[in-house]
Amino acid sequence: MRAIFLILVAAATLAIVSTVFGGGYAINIAIVVCIYVILASSLDIVMGWTGLFSFAHAAFLGIGAYTAAILGRDFGTTFWLNLPLGMIVAGLFGFLLGLPLLRAQGHFLAIMTIAFQTIVYLVLSQWTDFTGGQYGIEVEPVAGFTTLSSYFYLVLVIAVICLIAIRFLTQSRLGDALQAIRDDETLARTIGMNTKAVKLVALAISSAFAGGAGVLLAYHIRGVTPDDYTVLASASIVAMVVLGGRGRFWGPVLGAVLLTALPEMLSILTDYKHIFYGGVLILVTMFAPQGLAGKFSRWRAR
Amino acid sequence: MILFQQFLANGVVVGSSYVLVALGLTLIFGILKIVNFAHGEFYMLGGYVAVVGTQVLGIGPLPSIVLVIVVMVMLGWFIERAIFVPIAKKDPTNVIIASFGLSILLQNIVLKIAGPEPMLARSGLPRGAIQIGNIFLTSERLAIVALAAVTVTALLVVLKYTWIGLSLRAMSENATVARICGINVRRVGVVTFAIGAALAGLAGALMATVFTVQPNAGSLIVMKAFVIVVLAGMGSIEGAIIAGLALGIVESLVTGYLGNGLRDIVGFIFVMGVLTIRPQGLFGIQTDRS
Amino acid sequence: MAIWVKAAAAAGLSVMISSVAISAAFAEQLKLGVSLPLSGPASLAGTSIREGIEFAVKQANQKGGVFDQDVKVFIEDDEGNPTKGVTAVRKLIEQDHVVGISGTYVSAVAAAESKVAKEYKVPMISAGSTSSAVTDANTAGDPWFFRAFPGSRAQAKQTASDTLKKLNAKTVAVLYENSIYGKSLADEFKSNYEGIGGKVVAMEAYNPGDKDFYSSLTNVRAQSPSAVYIAGLMDSGAQIIKQAGELGVQTQIVGSGSMMSDKLIELAGPASEGFAVSSMFEPSTPNKHGAEFAKEFRAAYKKEPDVYSAIGFDSMGLLIEAARRAGKPDGAAMQKQLLNMPDFPLSQGPDRTTAKFDDKGSVEFKVGLAIVKNGKREWLPFD
Repeated sequence: MRAIFLILVAAATLAIVSTVFGGGYAINIAIVVCIYVILASSLDIVMGWTGLFSFAHAAFLGIGAYTAAILGRDFGTTFWLNLPLGMIVAGLFGFLLGLPLLRAQGHFLAIMTIAFQTIVYLVLSQWTDFTGGQYGIEVEPVAGFTTLSSYFYLVLVIAVICLIAIRFLTQSRLGDALQAIRDDETLARTIGMNTKAVKLVALAISSAFAGGAGVLLAYHIRGVTPDDYTVLASASIVAMVVLGGRGRFWGPVLGAVLLTALPEMLSILTDYKHIFYGGVLILVTMFAPQGLAGKFSRWRAR
Repeated sequence: MILFQQFLANGVVVGSSYVLVALGLTLIFGILKIVNFAHGEFYMLGGYVAVVGTQVLGIGPLPSIVLVIVVMVMLGWFIERAIFVPIAKKDPTNVIIASFGLSILLQNIVLKIAGPEPMLARSGLPRGAIQIGNIFLTSERLAIVALAAVTVTALLVVLKYTWIGLSLRAMSENATVARICGINVRRVGVVTFAIGAALAGLAGALMATVFTVQPNAGSLIVMKAFVIVVLAGMGSIEGAIIAGLALGIVESLVTGYLGNGLRDIVGFIFVMGVLTIRPQGLFGIQTDRS
Repeated sequence: MAIWVKAAAAAGLSVMISSVAISAAFAEQLKLGVSLPLSGPASLAGTSIREGIEFAVKQANQKGGVFDQDVKVFIEDDEGNPTKGVTAVRKLIEQDHVVGISGTYVSAVAAAESKVAKEYKVPMISAGSTSSAVTDANTAGDPWFFRAFPGSRAQAKQTASDTLKKLNAKTVAVLYENSIYGKSLADEFKSNYEGIGGKVVAMEAYNPGDKDFYSSLTNVRAQSPSAVYIAGLMDSGAQIIKQAGELGVQTQIVGSGSMMSDKLIELAGPASEGFAVSSMFEPSTPNKHGAEFAKEFRAAYKKEPDVYSAIGFDSMGLLIEAARRAGKPDGAAMQKQLLNMPDFPLSQGPDRTTAKFDDKGSVEFKVGLAIVKNGKREWLPFD
């Protein structure tokens, strides 16, 4: 319960800071932060809790976004239908990818997710008739939430719901099962756990959340273009989880906030922000391998 | 048929560069088990060192190749010691993230220094086409294939007859047993990493004479190199040679007969397919890790 | 908790009040924004455009600035990515309080950014984005996204007619980059060229940044068209020209506007001889305003300006002049002025080209054709 209270406090702080102290620009960043918090936390379901390194999270983000855009274009469906459908389609793809993925071993698994990510990107950018190719597809704003600040509150509420859901999930029996697999898969199998089914469910849920984040992103930018869904985007989501700390509830949240907001604060140094970003990733993995949340809890334990 | 011959020749040229990049990666990824995303940046840096050698210093193509190898060996040595070893000691999975950071870092440092314009390394070879039967090629393209063949042969000899080759092969079989047998794993690691970096740099230098080099030149080729290594089987030198050439040829045929847009997708579809049927890779052996 | 919120709100309010007071004191300073790809693949053009923009600002400030103060420019890197671009534009408007934006180069990003700028009533002037779709999205008579040079539709139409009539090529193979820029040019070219009696024998897409075209060109050679039209960027264009020469493809090659660069001739080597490129600006331009810009740019930067620096120069110059005429740094007033500036000279296009924006925010002028002779581009006279 303490975690849920903290989530609400954090959300309220974000809302106050961005609407009272900042204008549209701060709200804009706050929206992107919320979307990436969902992404990083959902990736952590498979990465932190089951130890699967996935470089395909931006692909699921894209699948969700394009599902919403294509449904809106071809059937005129609204946000309230597109959001669950985007999650379902992304979750389905996650499940389908999981079937061959979970048979692969070790590093092959990471390579397979990269291959999947690249294929999704190339399909989005090249299947012009269906996805609009490089032109992308326009998305109308959500009715009733057309202003930036009202849309921000919508995204914030959805992000809070997602975080609470993820919190419950990781604290549930499924979470225990995932942790058992991460710690010792052979042992988990020996005690009669269907480890593959558990992992498959985790991957599908994680992808579904990413798809939901994609729907939110599509309505935020009011359109979809393939360049938001590259392997680089996937890698930066992985970086958020690692920077914040794997397998800790607050780790990915912290990582997403830092890595989304940091480049914005750095834009005074427009010319050097990527150099700085790359340097930070190296230094964090060298000096805080368990992520910042890990560092923090160790410091508190002391 | 005339078209087919030309497509085949194009594929062999591009495939040769894939082989060089993938060989370096198969040593680093396949044997040391380091997932190094910055391998593509070694390729890119090799290209820029060749530009510096041939354009700025004006020392001619062959001395420039030596310069590329020396610089890349030093860089590989430094990066392995200063970044990867300390990280791997604490948590090996974090190496992926560090290498991703390194890739962004190197790309953008080069962007700041050299700018975004493409640069050409001068090969000093005569310009213009050479016609062999129905096939058109340039002397530079032929030189890529020839130099790749020489390098591969040299590498095979080194791996077969020297202590480093022996230790490497032992490590690729079983790292723990190799260590027990008294192999200095750390020394082998750093030498392997340096050789891998030099191979990528060499490939980049050769390709910079034909395709120019830009700060982001390595970002796609590193993905393809991973595909090749997985298809070939982790750490398999012969496999990487075959798979690298095959990917080059398949891409060329796909471009020729199906269109350019599909070229980059085939390798990835292929690797998904192979891993679906054989989760341990094309030539890999099934092992169960606990 | 409640007390804390109140305290925070009070603090926020006081910050807002003081920032209003500060901005009132400096209300006269003209602040303009720039959004360009300065990293990533598109930075090749972005850095060149930036030089033209900075040159326009420098020139204005040397002449005493606007409203008796230097013009202040805020530059954001949009990385050629729509999400980053939207954030950059919001930042420029909300945080830096700019009243006009020059940007951007990638058409997909410009499309996303223009929606935001319109919302805030801040006029944007394209810094290189060519696709006609972005100005087409404007409301007729009330455009917020301007382009001070012809869009893809007009450019492709001119090139199609030049290819058929001036270069006498009856059949063409089209190679285009799979981006909005390349695809819109290629599609428009095809419909125009076939409309006036030419025949397109092949349409082949390539991915941005591709370097190896041997297989595509082998196919082109087999079809032996009388010309090849390339719609794409300079780096791939140079490779296509060079490799076509190596493969013995003996045809006229025609390139889109972004290949108007000396670097292309250097990279493609002797194969670039005879290469025709659609060109809106040359350092040797007959446009007197443009020639003056070229002279001053050369003196300041010790290098030749190119079409990108000219685009940046015109884009920023227009914003500064619109603010000066509006008499106050106000986006809506500037937009009105922009629609009424048929006397403002542009450095691009033929002599006496002016910023006569149509009701969709686009400028039409005749796009020239340059042909490489002895390693130098020579401009064919406008007819």
